[in-house]
Parts: sequence; structure tokens; C-alpha cells
Amino acid sequence: MVPPQWYLLLAAAVFCIGVFGVLTRRNALIFLMSVELMLNAANINLVYFSQYWGNVTGQTFSLFTLALAAAEVAIGIGIILVLYRNFDDVDVTKAVTMRW
Amino acid sequence: MSRPELQSDISYTKGLAALALFVVMAAVVFAADFGPAQGFPSDANVTESIGYAMFNLDLGSVPAEGFLVAFLLIAVVLDVALDGALYLAKRENEDDETLTALIADGGRTLRRTVADDGVDGDETHGDAADDGGDR
Repeated sequence: MVPPQWYLLLAAAVFCIGVFGVLTRRNALIFLMSVELMLNAANINLVYFSQYWGNVTGQTFSLFTLALAAAEVAIGIGIILVLYRNFDDVDVTKAVTMRW
Repeated sequence: MSRPELQSDISYTKGLAALALFVVMAAVVFAADFGPAQGFPSDANVTESIGYAMFNLDLGSVPAEGFLVAFLLIAVVLDVALDGALYLAKRENEDDETLTALIADGGRTLRRTVADDGVDGDETHGDAADDGGDR
């Protein structure tokens, strides 16, 4: 079995790529993708430690996380659609007013 | 307007925070000690056990907690998300409500044609829907 350190390192790398995307990018769609990367980094840990400890709780929980990610994307795409309609752009730095 | 191209005018200095976070995480991970691995039994049916765990049934060959409440909560959350997405995607103007179901271009073309030409002049969308859509 691969030592847990390598899986944790992989998860940390995926999570940090997501953080990097959130911090540096301005496109709302890439924001959404970056948040998905961060969520899936948690899933890597859940699935690995489920196998490590011989308990399927982690794998079951990761399924729920995937469902939650789907719900998040549904709302996120809707918000991006409204953003595009109102500001003619999906640049998150353009939307600086609550009313327009 | 944002196009599918890599932005070159962004500041990468904020991204250094992510790099620093990775270094801290890597240091913590390699310093940590995880006990001996247990793993699943060789004859365990993991998929079956996950299915049982979702419905609080204690029939699986691998131990797990019950997730029935979480299962129902996620079902409600997905339903609310679907309704929310539809609410957000719905156009606020009432006069072009009939066109909303036909067009999925983000709204730009619709706004231009309705404002400039009127609803009757918007024939391109109708053709496109007739060509490819099963309405």
C-alpha cells in the first residue's frame, strides 16, 4: 500500500492549485473550477483513509461531497449567468455593486 | 469581454500564498505519524457496504456509520439547488418569457434583438431551435 504521506501530498497539491486559481484568476468560471479542485482534494483524503482504516465511512462521505459539489455548481452556473446578463462579462472584479 | 484565453495581466504574487500553504502542508504531512494500515478484508464487498451504509442497514461486510439522514439532507439540497438554478436562469422580463425556453446563449443576443428589433424580428433563434432542437 502506498504510504499515506504521498496521498496527503497529492491532496495538498490539488487543494493548493485550487487556492491558486481562486487567488489569481478573475474569470468566474475558473473560480468555480478552482473550488471544485479544492473539494476534490478533500475527496482524495476521504477515499484513501477509508481504505487505510478499513472503513467505508470515508467513501460514503465522499459520495455526498460529490453530490454537494453538483449542487454548488448548479447554483454557481446560475450566478455566473446572472453576472453575465447584468455586467456583460464574467470577470468577478467588474461586479462591484449590489444594485445596478 | 472574457474569451477562452489565458489571462496574462494577472498578479501572480497572491498565488505565492497558495505555494506557501503547500509547503506548510507538505512539512506537516511528512512529520506526521499514521499508525499501521488496516485495509479492507480480502473478501470484503466495498460497493455493497457503501450501499448499505447509505440507508443505515447493518448488513455490509465492512463497518460503516449510518448515513440515512445525510442522504435525505443531500436530496433536499440537490432539489433546492435545482430550483435555485432555474430561478436564477429565468429571465426577469415578462414580455420575452416565451423565448426564454428556446435560447441558451447567455442572454446577449436576446437582449439586443428584443431591444432593437422587437420580438417579431427575432427569427434566427426560431430557426436554430427548429434545426437542432427537440422542444
